Amino acid sequence: MTGLTHPVVELTGVSKTYGDVVALRSADLVIQRGELLAVVGPSGSGKSTMLNIMGTLDRPSGGTVRITGHDVEQLTDRELSALRAGTIGFVFQHFHLAGGVPAIDSVADGLLYSGKPRRERRRVAERALRRVGLGHRLYHEPHQLSGGEKQRVAIARAVVGDPPLLLADEPTGALDSRSGAVVMELLHELHEAGTTVVVITHDRDIAASLPREVRVKDGLIEHDSASAAVTTAALPEGAAR
Amino acid sequence: MTAPHPTRERTPADRPWADLPPPPRPKAARLSPADVARVGGWGLRSRPMRVFLSALGIAIGIAAMIGVVGISTSSQEDLNRKLAALGTNLLTVSPGTSLSGDEAHLPEEAVEMIGNIPAVESVSALGGTDAKVYRNDRIPKEESKGLTVSAARTDLPETTGAELATGQWLNGATSKYPAVVLGSSAAEQLGVHQTGQDVQIWLGNRWFTVVGILAPNELVPDLDSSALVGWSVAEEKLGFDGYPTTIYTRAEESEVEDVQAVLGATANPESPNEADVSRPSDALAAKHATDDALSGLLLGLGGVALLVGGVGVANTMVISVLERRSEIGLRRALGATRGQIRTQFLAEALLLSALGGLGGVLLGIGVTVGFAAYQGWAAVVPLWAMAGGIGATLVIGGLAGFYPAVRAARLPPTEALATT
Repeated sequence: MTGLTHPVVELTGVSKTYGDVVALRSADLVIQRGELLAVVGPSGSGKSTMLNIMGTLDRPSGGTVRITGHDVEQLTDRELSALRAGTIGFVFQHFHLAGGVPAIDSVADGLLYSGKPRRERRRVAERALRRVGLGHRLYHEPHQLSGGEKQRVAIARAVVGDPPLLLADEPTGALDSRSGAVVMELLHELHEAGTTVVVITHDRDIAASLPREVRVKDGLIEHDSASAAVTTAALPEGAAR
Repeated sequence: MTAPHPTRERTPADRPWADLPPPPRPKAARLSPADVARVGGWGLRSRPMRVFLSALGIAIGIAAMIGVVGISTSSQEDLNRKLAALGTNLLTVSPGTSLSGDEAHLPEEAVEMIGNIPAVESVSALGGTDAKVYRNDRIPKEESKGLTVSAARTDLPETTGAELATGQWLNGATSKYPAVVLGSSAAEQLGVHQTGQDVQIWLGNRWFTVVGILAPNELVPDLDSSALVGWSVAEEKLGFDGYPTTIYTRAEESEVEDVQAVLGATANPESPNEADVSRPSDALAAKHATDDALSGLLLGLGGVALLVGGVGVANTMVISVLERRSEIGLRRALGATRGQIRTQFLAEALLLSALGGLGGVLLGIGVTVGFAAYQGWAAVVPLWAMAGGIGATLVIGGLAGFYPAVRAARLPPTEALATT
């Protein structure tokens, strides 16, 4: 692989405290471009905090967070917003689709803050929906879609701007196992197409099915299946397996 | 439980990318005005009933204000039209009181002297008499109904603009005989509705024939309650002293004020202070002006309604922000800046109150048109009132939406997303 690039995510000694509660202690984590990994842990383990910090929705209490080379601490709130708009896609457990809005407009909203004109947003949104296999559901509203379809719409919204980093927070948590499998399949496809995908989950089976697994417990990274290999350089595909 | 992976000193070799140049700082894109409007309007479309009710508050306030302004403007317009028809160049002179407190007299030659002022177009006079008028000779003396009997010069209608509802005005011949022209309300009170040889009323202890009945005269309402007889018959039969008690003057439109200034001295050169000069059109306008107090009160009420409407909008927006925390969090995650969230909610508040303002203006126009039609006026709603109404709602929407918008923008995205 040629061309050295900044890692997509680089946490160095990152900690987060809420009052007296320590949610994350001195976490070190490097995620290279093109990885597919799980951050797994029980509830209260600090994985949600890690998601918020990786997603720049929250700032750490200590340590350094770099997203595609940007030191988050150095950026203003406005610049962070722009970073989220262009670099990070979010998928949430409960989809966060607005009622009464057709799928294509929900997906197009993923580009609302990118400065693209509306016609362009809708055009790209249609392509993203086709990519997640919902080309026949463009104008369906959330109440006309199944849970799995809703999550696919949400994934389409997250990747519509082709962000280098996709953060999925319990993407299958609200789905039955069959829909969940479809969603995981989709995340694999996105990964194969080059997107860096981070799945935050409490489900050990899902975590085990991904190439890399970062286990979090009590605010500590207690296991990283790639801890030995990742820190060297940009990895060839699948090297961490 | 596996041990946490060992923390070790990180060497530059671990971070070969450390020497890469830092990427350019990300720059937030702007929302186009159309997107701002769309995003702001989206929040309204999803809650139509609440939007309707809170816009209604604003609408009522604006409608009240537009209605008050519209109705008063329409009535002013109507008055102006009337005045234009009646003429604003009529001046009257009447004797005031002398320094000793006695009732003063205007000299007999006053009419002639006023007529000599170059800018005077016409002049005429009434002379008050002490005679009383009754329907017939069997009515008790005390039931004179407050009607006055005045001697009128034959040129009175030209100057005062008095018009006959029926019959004829006094002429050179009839003014020598016991003939009378009744003002409109005088005729009404005496029960006289037609004229002719056989229509007679009991005036100054003799029968007078009613030759004419006047139409109501707004400019000179005194004529309405008068019975007018000829100058010479008044002198001969009613003990009239021949002094004019009201002199009516039409001056050239451009010279009215100059004529008004010299009228008193011209009418009564010996004691100009004993002549009262007035301009009936001013009195009409002044009568209209007294309605302004009521208009002010209604305007104030409209203002209060508007204020309450504004509080309603603020309330709606605060609730909206509380309910839409997760939407706000999602938008922040999608890359909205705090400013863009603030703009969204401010736009929503502005749209909401603009809707109310627009509805209010339409409602206010409706009220004005309805009331004006009822009064027989032409409806006039000044453009400034409509523009002002919309402008006021925008200011109110901005004020009402500001605090909720700032709150929405300050919401940390994680907290907003946590409330599902």
